[in-house]
Amino acid sequence: MLQLTGVVAGYGGGAVLQGVDLLCEDGTITCVVGPNGAGKSTVLRVVSGLLTPSEGTVMMGHIKLSGQSAAAILRAGVTQVPQSQALFPHMSVRENVLMGGFLIRRDKKLLMSRLEQVQQLVPLVADRGAQHGGNLSGGQRRMVEIARCLMLDPKVLLLDEPSLGLDPRSLTAVAELIHRLHDDGVTVLLVEQNVRLGLGLATHGVVMEGGKVRLTGSAIEVMNHPEIASLYLGGTNATTARAAQAAAEPTPNPAEATG
Amino acid sequence: MTELLQAVILGLLIGGVYALMASGLTLVFGVMNIINVAQGAFLIFVAMVTWWLWKHTGIDPILASVITTPMMFGLGWVLYRTVIVRIRGSSPSMSVLLTFGLALTIEGILNITAGNKFKSATPSYFEESFRVGDISLPKSQVYGFLAAMLVLAVLYVVLTRTWMGRAIRASSQNPSGAALVGVGATSTAALAFALGASTSGVGGSILSVLYPFFPASHYDWISRLLGIIVLGGMGSLPGALVGALVLGLAETLTATYGSLRWATLVFYVVILAVLLFRPQGLFGTRLREDVAV
Ligand SMILES: Nc1ncnc2c1ncn2[C@@H]1O[C@H](COP(=O)(O)OP(=O)(O)OP(=O)(O)O)[C@@H](O)[C@H]1O
Ligand SMILES: [Mg+2]
Repeated sequence: MLQLTGVVAGYGGGAVLQGVDLLCEDGTITCVVGPNGAGKSTVLRVVSGLLTPSEGTVMMGHIKLSGQSAAAILRAGVTQVPQSQALFPHMSVRENVLMGGFLIRRDKKLLMSRLEQVQQLVPLVADRGAQHGGNLSGGQRRMVEIARCLMLDPKVLLLDEPSLGLDPRSLTAVAELIHRLHDDGVTVLLVEQNVRLGLGLATHGVVMEGGKVRLTGSAIEVMNHPEIASLYLGGTNATTARAAQAAAEPTPNPAEATG
Repeated sequence: MTELLQAVILGLLIGGVYALMASGLTLVFGVMNIINVAQGAFLIFVAMVTWWLWKHTGIDPILASVITTPMMFGLGWVLYRTVIVRIRGSSPSMSVLLTFGLALTIEGILNITAGNKFKSATPSYFEESFRVGDISLPKSQVYGFLAAMLVLAVLYVVLTRTWMGRAIRASSQNPSGAALVGVGATSTAALAFALGASTSGVGGSILSVLYPFFPASHYDWISRLLGIIVLGGMGSLPGALVGALVLGLAETLTATYGSLRWATLVFYVVILAVLLFRPQGLFGTRLREDVAV
């Protein structure tokens, strides 16, 4: 169980997160949606320890994550794929993925068996193993970034816009990967601009706006919530709500994307 | 023709030694954006220690690097943990101020303890040369070059084949990416700084044989090294190697066909020209672009 309680955090200026409460039960997939600048990525950074909250706590079961170093949080089993550029451009794909196992580097056998598993889940890692991270296409980088996160066999996986720059086939591959992890009991917290895809994958949905959680519920509830369109567009008046509804029109049954 | 060939070979030999000395500087810049102006003072400090060891124990000055290298590794680590760490995250110009202060401190200490006179370690082979046809190669230059190449090769292996090296490269290529996989920024920076300082362990020992030195010689050396890494592209190790060979050649050729007095000027001319026409240096572009994406 991953739980944020009253989290306040920022980057030195004002508080970006203004008291965020969030609960992800074990083995669930929670998708956070919201307008640009809502603080979605910031939530993930607080969980992974890249950013320390000034108030509030982040708990994983009985372990307090907030206040611990990023390495300690990794060791506790939380890994993150950030929104942009996480790879080492001058290292080979293989080395990039191996770096994901930096914390288990002393156990060579474990490291190699994990690499083997990851290569099976993400074939690109083996296929492009010798190529430099910086020479991959945007979508390929995304896949390698996700692969790298699996090296530690995480309990909680944080994905910041995993669909960014992916073609339909890679999208399917990522969706399948997320489902497999879900089946293995991994708790997934993901941020997605592609609401249809994100909530379609997820079991639970969260809508954020202006550094606060505005709405939570099961993915289907959130998707069908009459207010989501207006919340998501960051406006509250009827015009934006209507425009949003029109934009959200083709939203199909979430089961379709999940199936 | 013989004169030219001789000048070219000597230029490459000295260039190899420069490459070793500059590698530490460029490594430290690449990993943590610190311009360690004290690298020259490290060299002179090590040269002084080497000279003292040679004088009092008779140990070969170049072999003395077996002692001075770990010494500088340790010193670099301690300096990072106690002094340099305080400017973590500040601009590179801050690091210039801090390390300049460090250089002055080292110079002052050397002035007091060793005196303000020229010194030079002169082992038995000091005045001997290898003769290949018409070309004569001073033994000390050849040994210095070989030692430098050996250490550069070890550095290369450390950086590419060990976890410490991977952590250092990861931090230099993508600091937030490194943090995400659990590479500790401070401990890696300390190791990188220590590794950078340790290259001056071998470099300084070689220097003690090849050049006469006194405490204030570090100004001269840091200018050369800065010229090399500016030419090669700040932070690029291959750049430092190429820059060092080019400038070693340029210096020797100028000394041979121009005059000795103009030879050191080559470095300043190159700094100026590079900053005017190609500020990123020879190998600077790709690195910057990739990291900025
Ligand atoms: N490194 C940073 N330094 C300063 N402010 C930042 C930094 N990163 C984000 N912010 C600010 O924090 C706020 C929330 O940013 P965040 O990245 O969490 O938004 P987001 O919801 O992920 O948006 P997007 O959908 O665009 O990714 C923004 O107003 C942004 O300006
Ligand atoms: Mg974001």
